[in-house]
Amino acid sequence: MISTVGGVQIGIATTSAVSGRGFTPEELAEHAINEVISIGNNSHPVIQAQAEAFREDIRAVITNYLRQAVASNNTTLTNRFRDAGHPELVKLLEV
Amino acid sequence: MALSITTAMPTSFKVELMKGLHNFTGASNRFKMALFKATASGSGTFGAATTNYSQMGSDELPTATGYTQQGKFLTSVTPVADGTTALTNFSALTWTSSSFTTSGALIYDTGDSNSACAVLSFGGDQTVSSGDFQIQFPTANASSAIIRIA
Repeated sequence: MISTVGGVQIGIATTSAVSGRGFTPEELAEHAINEVISIGNNSHPVIQAQAEAFREDIRAVITNYLRQAVASNNTTLTNRFRDAGHPELVKLLEV
Repeated sequence: MALSITTAMPTSFKVELMKGLHNFTGASNRFKMALFKATASGSGTFGAATTNYSQMGSDELPTATGYTQQGKFLTSVTPVADGTTALTNFSALTWTSSSFTTSGALIYDTGDSNSACAVLSFGGDQTVSSGDFQIQFPTANASSAIIRIA
């Protein structure tokens, strides 16, 4: 028996929007983790559990580094504000 | 008449693939994503029959408040195989400090006369106000990737 299965297929892109602010490290980490790790519903329960645990570990790492990136960028901006003679603007960065 | 967008891979794109007109390898600054207006603000029909970016015309968001017409360049992931499926994907794309409402997007190839590669419906109007708007692409695997040949 000869069978053929296939074709050119398109995936589903999703959108996220936040108003009045930018994305937080936690929100971006969630986006990243969804792009990196996909857990199939048909997987063995043990494999699913391991994948979920791995997913949470990776989420924590990504979130931590994104927070550090924000903090580092704030350091850069702080120096730029001070160098430009506007140290009062530094308070705007203190969340 | 309202804007009608159906998520689809343009038929013309499938033909162009067989002609070898699209190269997704190392293709930064080649593929772009442009955004459609809100459903009630447009009038065209887009889907499998869409062939080129030029068809968006007045149905594309205007240049204003965070969006610039012709959209943004996508960073493509070099095509790979997952099992017996070939796939390629794109990195997430963000419009920052934006205010607009959009109902879909068109991915097109600036390296091939702006020919259409994918029509994406967002399933309704998506609004951002003085914030960030991001498109996330699915996991790059055989069952989810944005462009797959199974």
